[in-house]
Amino acid sequence: MSHEHTARSHTGRHHHHKGGHRHDTGGSSIDFYACHSRIRHWNPGFRVGFSIILLLFCILANHPAVSCVIILTAAWITVGMGGLSFRRYFSVLTIPITFILLGSAAVAVDFSRQPIGDFHLYLFWGYLYLTYESLLNTLFLILKVFGAVSAMFIMTLSTPSHELFSVLRKARCPSLIVELMHMIYRYIFILMEVQRNMRISAESRLGFGDFKTSCYSFGQIASNLFIIALKKANAYYDAMEARCYDGTFAFLEEEHQANPKHLIAAGIYLTALMSFWLAIR
Amino acid sequence: MNEPILQVNDLHYYYNDNQAALNGISVSIYPGERIAVIGSNGAGKSTFFLNINGVLSPEHGEIFYHGTKITKKSLPELRKNIGIVFQDADNQIIASSVKAEISFGPMNLKLPREEVSRRVNMAMEYMNITEYGDRPPHYLSGGEKKRVAIADIIAMEPDVIIFDEPTAALDPLNAVMLEEVLEKLSAEQKTLLISTHDVDFAYRWAERVLVFCDGQIIADGTPLSVFQNDEVVKKASLTRPVMLDVYEELVRNGLLADAGVYPRDMREFRELIGK
Ligand SMILES: Nc1ncnc2c1ncn2[C@@H]1O[C@H](COP(=O)(O)OP(=O)(O)OP(=O)(O)O)[C@@H](O)[C@H]1O
Ligand SMILES: [Mg+2]
Repeated sequence: MSHEHTARSHTGRHHHHKGGHRHDTGGSSIDFYACHSRIRHWNPGFRVGFSIILLLFCILANHPAVSCVIILTAAWITVGMGGLSFRRYFSVLTIPITFILLGSAAVAVDFSRQPIGDFHLYLFWGYLYLTYESLLNTLFLILKVFGAVSAMFIMTLSTPSHELFSVLRKARCPSLIVELMHMIYRYIFILMEVQRNMRISAESRLGFGDFKTSCYSFGQIASNLFIIALKKANAYYDAMEARCYDGTFAFLEEEHQANPKHLIAAGIYLTALMSFWLAIR
Repeated sequence: MNEPILQVNDLHYYYNDNQAALNGISVSIYPGERIAVIGSNGAGKSTFFLNINGVLSPEHGEIFYHGTKITKKSLPELRKNIGIVFQDADNQIIASSVKAEISFGPMNLKLPREEVSRRVNMAMEYMNITEYGDRPPHYLSGGEKKRVAIADIIAMEPDVIIFDEPTAALDPLNAVMLEEVLEKLSAEQKTLLISTHDVDFAYRWAERVLVFCDGQIIADGTPLSVFQNDEVVKKASLTRPVMLDVYEELVRNGLLADAGVYPRDMREFRELIGK
């Protein structure tokens, strides 16, 4: 869960599309893609369940061929069936790719006083070295992580957060937590927008002209944001009270019946994957 | 007339100790009335609305709903029957999809699922937002958010609906649509209170106008009587509706006979000229 959320907030800030597509809130593009996915009418519980099972299987199987199959099918589901353009899918994937590559570099490379290993590099007081074996292991690790991430993206790129919350609620997640997630999610966007507006207005009045004014403006915006957060919390509560809020959050949740065809297809796929793994293990 | 649906007696409200935001408001509102609330910025319109909805509790004064005094206990009943569309839609929208958002009020009324679903769809149709149903509200524009906020309240089907500056963020097309919605709600015998800075709108739509100034009501009457009262217009720093000015100017210059029928909108004006 937490991984998934960090991914959401990262995308919004760090990646830029080359094409004309841009949106105004500076919010998370993942959520935006999810709203427009063509597989949204599938039962959300099914989608979440399937991608979690796939994720677990990828980790437990721990086999590069299985990982490859999962990477390919996940891409096919999200791009082929979900209708996300490949370029966007790729740009979303590049965020974890960076982390994965950096992380596995640390796993692959070792350190020694003697010049051992298949490749080594002398650094003042010792050797950084690589072996074929460690290289291969790292490659497998990358594939595994990559497979797990793309399995997760089946869910992330087709399930907007409100659907996710309702799945969590149905899965008996404590309602306090689900409600908090709801509020926090909505609130992040409001604060981001307020911050953005203040920043733009400061910029248009030359508030970021040189270093000193930048610091000053930043401080002003930060402290103002804090006050606005408090005020908004009040206004929010008032508006909820005005609509008869009595301490429990209740929303109408749409029921998409799980399509038996999807269930059967998923069952067949998972069984096939399982037998494939058993055969090559 | 019959019994007032809402009666306010000598309401006082202070945000901070030295300055009254509301300073002795008394007014009776009757079922089915169309009331425009006008007054300059900071006159106390929003504060008044929050008080009669029970969100803010007044320092002094009483509110009666259908003749029963509102206390802490009867507050939920009051809120059920008085809906308020807030001035800033962002402060009102809480859910992460439009449909869920609109269902929040009806769900709080503990209605059965089918009924909630019916009302949500009805409200979305009313406000012309059916196509946004599954979107998160933060991907909507200001005016679209405003329409969601209005649908929120329509779905609760209260007897009295308060709109705090509904037209401020809407484009002309949706402003016209909003007026149609108001017309429909009126036909359903809802009592409507609308605060606005658009005097032309107040003049053509309302059957009664309340003028706020420094936390007091300085005028209460038909749009015509209010806008013809130069003292009130000046004190509340209002402008006169264009239609009224044009009509009086035409009469003064002898281009039109003074029949005492004041046109309220272009259609009525055309009919008058056509004669
Ligand atoms: N949350 C608050 N805290 C303190 N003072 C407030 C608060 N909200 C409003 N006021 C003050 O109360 C007075 C009345 O404000 P109110 O919001 O009712 O005005 P309004 O008639 O709705 O104005 P507008 O046309 O700008 O919406 C103003 O002087 C304002 O400064
Ligand atoms: Mg106001």
